[in-house]
Amino acid sequence: MSTLTVDISDFKVSAKADDLIVTYALGSCIAVIVHDPVRVVGGMIHYMLPLSETSPEKAKIRPAMFADTGIPLLFQTMYQLGCQKKDLIVKVAGGGALYDDKGLFSIGKRNYTVLRKMFWKSNVLIRAEDVGGAKSRTTRLQVGSGLCTVTSQGEETEL
Amino acid sequence: MIAPSVILSRVKALPTLSGAALRLSELARDQRSSAADFERVIRPDPALTANLLRVANSAYFGLRNRVESVKQAVTVLGLTRVSEVAAAAAFAPVIPARLPGYDIEASAFWLHSVAVAVLSERLAVELKMPRPDLTFTAGLLHDIGKLAIGTFVSQESVEILGRVRGGLAFASAEREVLGVDHAEVGALVADAWRLPTAMGAVARWHHAPDDVPEGVDRPLVDLVHAADGLAHALGLGADVGELARQIAPGTEARLGIRARRLERVAGASLDAIREMAGLFAPRGDSR
Repeated sequence: MSTLTVDISDFKVSAKADDLIVTYALGSCIAVIVHDPVRVVGGMIHYMLPLSETSPEKAKIRPAMFADTGIPLLFQTMYQLGCQKKDLIVKVAGGGALYDDKGLFSIGKRNYTVLRKMFWKSNVLIRAEDVGGAKSRTTRLQVGSGLCTVTSQGEETEL
Repeated sequence: MIAPSVILSRVKALPTLSGAALRLSELARDQRSSAADFERVIRPDPALTANLLRVANSAYFGLRNRVESVKQAVTVLGLTRVSEVAAAAAFAPVIPARLPGYDIEASAFWLHSVAVAVLSERLAVELKMPRPDLTFTAGLLHDIGKLAIGTFVSQESVEILGRVRGGLAFASAEREVLGVDHAEVGALVADAWRLPTAMGAVARWHHAPDDVPEGVDRPLVDLVHAADGLAHALGLGADVGELARQIAPGTEARLGIRARRLERVAGASLDAIREMAGLFAPRGDSR
């Protein structure tokens, strides 16, 4: 078994049933966790910002930094492994927020809004989510079983 | 509540920063300083010399020609940069393997410190502020108070975390339970380490920039406050306080921050933060 760690602005996909995919310290960043129980493939992205238009040059080098360039890349990578859209189970975690009355630091909220728009346009349903709040989250996905957990404030729960 | 004398004894028991690094930060602020003054401080310190050359030749600075001498490094990087590198080299080794009370490993605390340093500086550039002196170093050292009060936070963690779960910012919960927060203690550490006054003020006020007294370099406090919030939002060095941090409304107004600009700074800084953090290993780190 290997553990694949997804850094900030990165994504990982695995078709090995005994692999574990994990990402740590999601603050306002969001993890999209995708599992295909038919082909037994798992994927996870840890994106940091909503739109690549703020740094187009960066998006070329690190597409997984942004929702609009990273999420399609995650799905395409899974399709290349033979996954079909109808089989994919999609979960979402992160998008936390600081106590910020004016909302300028609400990167988490904007990350989530863009994600919802993208999924709505492309008919992707979110099976489960744990978003928002002044929380930091760690998410894990077992590729074989599709078991997905979120650890926050010292507690691990199944998503 | 902890007695002030107990806190002071903890502060005094901390390992101190290297004298050369402190001397350089003083020199960097003195307009009469010359490159020769810098060289005189750096040369007798082999570890600092080695670190300076290594950093000068790293991808972080991306210089075309190889830097091979202290003189060259000072000329190419400039006095301010050299003092920042010296501060980073001096700070990394005093971080313990794990900070009690804050539930954070040395490597994550280090990443957070570097993230705040880099983000403060980049934010100043993005906002076209005249770059206040010592932005990087003040950002780097903003959380030094945590090194001294971790054991007290640990003893009272149930109380403190209970208040944080109830919606209080972490520093406010520290204050309510311990009678003091890591920012106030940070000012004591800055004094004990004989840091420049501006750095002590940043450590002291980085959670309360709206309350800074007259005479304090408020733009610098605002920058570090915003950078600290951004670093936590992005998950760069998350600790037990998670995202329970208050962004001061005054800082947002004074800096004139726009959401998009914050995002641009975040996007542009991530690689630089990783690069700089990777250049030095904190003591507890096994790298």
